[in-house]
Parts: sequence; structure tokens; C-alpha cells
Amino acid sequence: MKLHICHLYPDLLNLYGDRGNILVLYRRARWRGIAVEITGLSLGDPLDPKLYDLFFLGGGPDQEQGVAARDLLTKGPWLREAVEEGAAVLAICGGYQLFGRYYRTAGGNILPGLGLLPVYTEAGNRRLKGNIAIRAPRLGDPRPVVGFENHGGRTFLEGDGQAEPLGHVVFGFGNNGADGTEGCISGRVIGTYLHGPLLAKNPHLADYVLALALQKRYGEVPLAPLNDELEWEANENLLRRFGRGRRKGG
Amino acid sequence: MFNLLLCSLAVFLGRLAALLCRLAGRDATSLPGCIALKVFPGLLRHLARGLNPIVIVTGTNGKTTTSNLLAQLLTAQGWQVVYNGEGANMPAGVATAMLKGAKAKGYGRAAVLEVDEGSLGIVLGQVPAHLVVVTNLLRDQLDRYHELEQLAASIKGALAQVPEARLLLNADDSLVASLGRGRKGVFYYGLERTPLSRTRPADVQEGHLCPSCRVPLEYAYYHYGHLGSYRCPRCDWARPETAFRAEDFLWDENGSSFHFVFNGGRIRLTSALPGVYNAYNVLTASSAGMLLGVEPSVIREVVKDFRPGRGRIEGFRLAGKKGVLVLVKNPVGMAEALRTVAGNRPAAYIVAINDLAADGRDVSWLWDVDLEPLLKSLYSRIICSGLRAWDMAVCLKYSGVSLEALKVIPDLESALREATREPVDNLIILCTYTNLALCRRLLKGMGAHSEAAYMPPLSRPA
Repeated sequence: MKLHICHLYPDLLNLYGDRGNILVLYRRARWRGIAVEITGLSLGDPLDPKLYDLFFLGGGPDQEQGVAARDLLTKGPWLREAVEEGAAVLAICGGYQLFGRYYRTAGGNILPGLGLLPVYTEAGNRRLKGNIAIRAPRLGDPRPVVGFENHGGRTFLEGDGQAEPLGHVVFGFGNNGADGTEGCISGRVIGTYLHGPLLAKNPHLADYVLALALQKRYGEVPLAPLNDELEWEANENLLRRFGRGRRKGG
Repeated sequence: MFNLLLCSLAVFLGRLAALLCRLAGRDATSLPGCIALKVFPGLLRHLARGLNPIVIVTGTNGKTTTSNLLAQLLTAQGWQVVYNGEGANMPAGVATAMLKGAKAKGYGRAAVLEVDEGSLGIVLGQVPAHLVVVTNLLRDQLDRYHELEQLAASIKGALAQVPEARLLLNADDSLVASLGRGRKGVFYYGLERTPLSRTRPADVQEGHLCPSCRVPLEYAYYHYGHLGSYRCPRCDWARPETAFRAEDFLWDENGSSFHFVFNGGRIRLTSALPGVYNAYNVLTASSAGMLLGVEPSVIREVVKDFRPGRGRIEGFRLAGKKGVLVLVKNPVGMAEALRTVAGNRPAAYIVAINDLAADGRDVSWLWDVDLEPLLKSLYSRIICSGLRAWDMAVCLKYSGVSLEALKVIPDLESALREATREPVDNLIILCTYTNLALCRRLLKGMGAHSEAAYMPPLSRPA
């Protein structure tokens, strides 16, 4: 069994320890005897939609994100085809915004996105940042997903919140700091503002993403349990420290 | 008139606070200035009067070592120097240093002020700097400073307040070098290719886009991070010509040395400080010293005897073990620290990570650290400590450290006791900012003896 991961713009979108997610996916697959091949694709590189099971896209500084966004539009048709073929996507922060319909800047300009997630983003004034926890029922594990967010954009789910969020905010800001939703999940495409090494403290989410990616070639693959004591301890530690007495919207 | 009274009152209260702190046996590096600024916010402008030259040192890494060395260079040349040598570099710390130095009167009063990159605008708004030195701009505390380009833009804005000031900029850092575009009186310094230079970039890069064309720069070599020799494939943007440079960098058991090359001169500088990043510190301070008229012979002598400040790789002995304590605060700094201290000698490690305001609330950066020097070293155990002990442990686990070698002990004192029981002769402690003072206090309580600058074992080049 072999998993093919495509890391998009590893040289441009790498703001917050994003590569940690690739490392977590790699190890968790290898510990289960699954081979992994990781390919980095950047500016101007052609993308073969049939080749990859999972696309990963991180967050970047404004300049780098702008450069990546223009290139990503040229890769758009290939990515759409790849998703139709059953590839999974994990897009974080800037990557999440680029996978939505558009980003409206503070100046009112509309930057088109790929439209693979039913969300749109508007520039906000204050940055929404801090530790965050969300409940993500899709994962089939009641334990929350925890992380750190730091974003200026406010993202909204289309159809007055009809689209499915990745989770509901326990504490922190989430998509826009107002409606209590965080991230978006549509088919096998996941977008979220929980940045950086998100999968490290969330083994349930890591395995959910792994399973989505494996489905393309192998259907439902049972993933053997791993020793995740450290990971869960890190997860609970964050909840204990920041979860007490705080409400969403902080 | 009212302002003058308020100002005198501020100075009086600030100095009273400094005196009380001293009587209480505390070293106050920020409190007196904090009080005085509350009473009279325009205080910095007043305190800056009569100081000439005023040198401001800013940038991500190397501010404290560079400004301390520069202060010593100027002192050796005969100046009375006001400086904030303890690294308190927000406006309150700057004010405290200037309050404490306000007593010295008259001739030859210079100031060397380390200023936090986020506070530069406030300080330069009041203090008419004669020379501003920018060391580097690296990824650091993203929750405070956001992104590097934004930071560079804010520094550029701050510099616009002092159009007459000369700039001394790191040519190897494209972002820093771009601060000099369109200005007069700009001097560049740089480190030539060394045996440790790499032709492949680090895993995580930033600040490597052309400031005009936004295309990735081409590099002949990298020192670390995005520092190196670069040129834009599209326009004429390239590493600027250097007025000061370090050539033939060598690193051996006696420390490090390089040829310091300047307009019409060339001397060999030997320093007890290890590592490439300290070569930068020595080069930066020496270049600033040259610009201010310090004699080359003075530079050579002062550099030779200079020892680093607190937490900048401090040696100690504890329970028969040789120890070293290092401050870590961002990915490049931590990777360089590991390249310097992680050697061939079997050692026990403590990595103590906090996420308080001064450390940066977001610890995602841990995953951007190149841990290879640590993973390749002979460690008996790696103990993770601090408020984010578990995060560090998870990061190490996925980087390839076995669960048997990992231990999580959030309480730093217990972690230290555990580490002394390890069957190795070396102890290496990496601490984020808020753990450092605590760690030093605990070590003292356990009977540790401080040693001079730590000499790294020879295990280069990578």
C-alpha cells in the first residue's frame, strides 16, 4: 500500500510549522506499514491530477501567498479534476482561503479562489489570534480538535451557513469570530484556520485525513491504533490551560 | 514650563525607583523607565539631549551581543557609553538605561541602544539616532510581529523619521538590505562564503522573494535561514557591495576568527564566541565601531577579550557535570544554537518551552526548527519541560526520537534534578525567554558554578 502526498508550495506557504503536518501524516502512515511518497510542487510546476491521493496547502505571508494564489489559479483545472477523481485536500489558513470562492480585500478588490470549498472570505481589521478548540463531530471521536489561529480574514459558509463547517468553536474565534463555526468540509476537501502543526495534537483528525486519502485507491482501510499518549496529553493540556472559563468569541 | 516640571519629576521618580530597586537587591532594567514614561511620555527626547553619537541596534537575532560589544568598543576608545546591556529593549528598558546614564555629564557621551524591532517606530520618533544598525529579520514570534514583509515595512517607516541617520545594514539578508534602497548614507556588511555555507536552502524559507519582482531569488550559497548571497533572476536586485566584510571564517577549539576587511584595511579578528551567528555579531559591532572612528587595533583587542552576556551560551558546572545554558526563541536561532552546542560528547538535554507573552504565545515555530544536529548527537535522554513540554515532546517524537529517550517533566526544577541523575558528563539546557531567569536561579540554588564562555566540541562541518 502506498500513499502519494502532494505538498503545494512548500517553499512559499510554510508560515507556522506547516511542514509538521506532512511529517505527522508520513510517520502515522509508516508506523502502519504504509509507504509514503511526498512531492513538493511550486510555481510553474505542472500537476498530474491522477498521481496524488492527498494535497496539502499551508499558510503564507501576504507576499508569498499572493504569488502562490496567482499560480494556484493556473493549477485550478488540474486540482478540480484531482478532487473529482477522489483525491483529498487539507488546506490551512491562507490555503483554506484560496480554496474558497473569493477573498475580498480591505480595498474591496475581489481575488478569485478555486471554489472547491463553499466559503468566501472578507478582510477584517483586527487579527483573530490565540489558542482555539473546536468540536468536530465528523471525526467520530468526541475529543476536541485543538490548535492556534492567527488570521485577518473572516470566512463565511455559503448559503447562510448551509455548508458544513469542520467544527464548532469551544473557545477561540473560528471562521469569523461571530457564528461559532470553524473551517469547512466538503466531500474530501477540508479547510481550517487551525494553523501550523495542527495534526500533531489531534491524532483523530490526522487519521481521518489519512483515511480520506487512502480511500481513493484502496477504499475503506482500517487504521491500526497507535500509541498516542503524548499527543492526547498535549491536547488535554491545552484544554486544561485555556478552556476554563472561556467562551467562544473570546 | 509645565512640561519641564513634569519632565524633571519623571527623571526624579525614575531614578528614585532605580535606587529603591538597587537597595532591594533587584536589578531593575525596565521598571524605572516604565514609571518615568508614565509621568512624562516625551521623556526619551529629553534624555537623548547631549548624547552623541546615538546608535540604535535592531533586528531579530544578535541585538544584545552586538550592542554590548559595540558599547565595549566605544568605551575602549574613550567614550562614556549609555547602553541597555541586559537586553531590556522596549521603550521602558531604553528609558531606564538612559535614566541610569543621565548622571554622566558633558564630553564624549555616546549611547548604544538595543531596540526591539516592534518598538523602533516609538523610539526613533523621539530619539534622533545618528546610526541605525539592522542585524537580520528572521521569523520570530509571529503572534506579535506578524509577517516578515510587514515587519520590514514598519521598520522602513520608522527609519523615515530619521532621514539624516546613517544606516548599517546586513547585505546577506535581502529584506534588511532592501531597507537601504533610496536612502543616502547606507553602509553594508556581509559574511563571505564559509566552510559551513550550504548551497541548498533550509527546509523552511522566508524573505527570499525579490522586493521588486516578487519572484524567488537565486542563491549562490546560504549561511542560514534566508541569509546568503542572492540575486534576482529578473531585475538588477542582488546582494549589495559591502563596505565591511568577513572573509576566511574559521572555527576551532580557540573560538572563531575571520579577516575583517574594510576600506583600505584588513585585520584578523579572533573571538571566543562560537558559531556563525556570533561571527555576524562580531562583524556587525566592528563595522559600526569603524564607522564611529574606533581604531582597528582597539577592535582587535576588545573582540579578543569579549565574553557573551547572560544566556547567550553560558557555561556552568553542576554535580560534576559540564553544563551549558542557551536561550532559544525562534527557529533559526534554535537551529544555530543546536549546531553550536550539540556535539559528539554524550549529553543529557533539557528543552524548556514556555508560551508566555515574552516567549511568543504560539509555539508552532518548534516544528520549523532544523533538529538534525540534536537528532544526530549522542543524547542519553531529552527531557521536555516548561508550559509547552508536551508540544515539544510530540515534535521530537515525530522527528524521530524514541519514546524511551523522551521524558516530559513540566516542572523545571524536577527536570533539572532528573537530568543530573543521567549517566553522562554533559548537560545541555535550551530555554525560551521566560524560563531562562528561573533556570539560572534554580541552577544557583543547586550549587552550579558559572564558567566563562562555553567552547563547543569540534564536530563540524555538517
